[in-house]
Amino acid sequence: MPEALLAARAVTVRFGGLVAVDGVDLEARHGELVGLIGPNGAGKTTLFHALSGVLAPDAGRLLVAGEDLTGSAPHVFAAHGVARTFQMPRVFRDMSAEDNVRFALQFAGRTRRHAHDAFDDARTILGFLGLGAASAVAAGALTPARQRLLEIGMALGARPRVLLLDEIAAGLTPAELETCAQLIRRVRDELGVAVIWIEHAVRVLMSHVERVAVLHQGRKIADGDPRAVAKDAAVIEAYLGEEGVGSEGGRERRVA
Amino acid sequence: MSAREQLAATLACGAVLAAAPWLLSDFLLSLALSCLMYAALAVSWAMFCGPTHYLSLATSAFFGLGAYVTAWSLESLPYGVAVLAGGLIGVAFAALIGAAVLHLRGAYFAVITFGLGELTLHLITYTEKTYFHTAGRIISDAPDNAAIYWTVLVLTLGAVATAILVRASRLGLALRGIGADEERAQTLGVDTRRVKILAFALSAFFPGALGAAMAVRWTYIEPLSVFNPFIGFQTVLMAMLGGAHTLIGPIVSAVFFSLVSEFLRLRFPYVFLLLLGLLLIALILYLPGGLASLLRRRGRADA
Repeated sequence: MPEALLAARAVTVRFGGLVAVDGVDLEARHGELVGLIGPNGAGKTTLFHALSGVLAPDAGRLLVAGEDLTGSAPHVFAAHGVARTFQMPRVFRDMSAEDNVRFALQFAGRTRRHAHDAFDDARTILGFLGLGAASAVAAGALTPARQRLLEIGMALGARPRVLLLDEIAAGLTPAELETCAQLIRRVRDELGVAVIWIEHAVRVLMSHVERVAVLHQGRKIADGDPRAVAKDAAVIEAYLGEEGVGSEGGRERRVA
Repeated sequence: MSAREQLAATLACGAVLAAAPWLLSDFLLSLALSCLMYAALAVSWAMFCGPTHYLSLATSAFFGLGAYVTAWSLESLPYGVAVLAGGLIGVAFAALIGAAVLHLRGAYFAVITFGLGELTLHLITYTEKTYFHTAGRIISDAPDNAAIYWTVLVLTLGAVATAILVRASRLGLALRGIGADEERAQTLGVDTRRVKILAFALSAFFPGALGAAMAVRWTYIEPLSVFNPFIGFQTVLMAMLGGAHTLIGPIVSAVFFSLVSEFLRLRFPYVFLLLLGLLLIALILYLPGGLASLLRRRGRADA
């Protein structure tokens, strides 16, 4: 089995008295597509903050390709190939879509060459995402759904080894959602990156990932084959108070 | 305009302006000198604060420090060397305070940079009184007006050229990203702390060097006159009114306001500050995007 590209070991993040992420272990290997699900407030986004260096964990370790980056600044994670999107798009609103992607290429993506030369310029990335026609448009003028796509473009511009996708499909129609999932699989297949994908549309997510981890109240309660996880008693229990497993509401309550 | 064209235009303007000492009267030359000085101050302020949206009030501190470098060294060093040293002291001081306070934002950063300027003023006053038993220093054998003018002109051209190069570089792009969303820029690989300190220090070279260059215009130097907070406030207002995110805005605005304030001071010596204040209020109310927004309305001004 190949070495984990990204590994969280017993990661804990506290906000005052609240334990948002509680001793979570999570791994993603080369070319692996991992789903991360859980009811609202389960700590998924907070875990992403820790995995990308945005929030330093209060306990636990973070390893990127075997290197311990615990406590490092976000740009160090980016330089080691961890790229992420934000649930609420954080594109540079005054810059064009193309400049947004170019920004990533100029910094995080500058030193690293990944296997796939097709993603070495901003226009190709935008074209791949179906944003080719919008490349000159100011990012702030794009619809929220397209800004989420642009977020993926920025992450790809960083030439990632690990891609963290936080609810990129929120607000998409089922057809668009399917296209988006295909896109993510292509990225994984063609670039061999490890992908961890958070999505509220659990059924679609489960049909595309090879493995799914479930967070509930900050703890990881399941991790494994999607079919097995869907039948897991603890997972069903966790979702019962919220919404059924497989509900596809585009709910977007922000986590922490 | 590409960066290359902008640099060529800057050089051409410089060549024309270099003729001023032979063509202008003493009065007009000193007016041109003050226009150049404020243009350089405003451009260098906007170099860092424009894209990042930081509000630095440290300009007076850099300027005052530079002036004191001249006051201390003019007897032993040539004028040009003192000016260079003033710039480097500005850089060193900015790097030091930048490392300490650039994590602060908004009003906190503004207040602390202002406070650090005041601290420097009092530190120098204390040093002078305690160790040198003096309240101020007399500048003897100052260079002539033409030499001062050319020195300030070179500094101004240097500030504009540096601003052009920064805007066209990765450093400039990183600064824009920091201004738009600092954390996002970090997650895209920008070492924001290093970039900010670097750019802040770079932008402090010019006020430091200008302080050193302009110090010889005073015959008597004391902390209160060279650490004049008014210089810093004027610089910030000029850059912001001109449009701090543009290259040309702060230059146009600095020249405009230097001329206007000189005109008001001569025609209405008693109410000039009042009129200047009203003018500023009117501009903020009716032209919040700065003078550059007027240019833009006419067509594509510089980006």
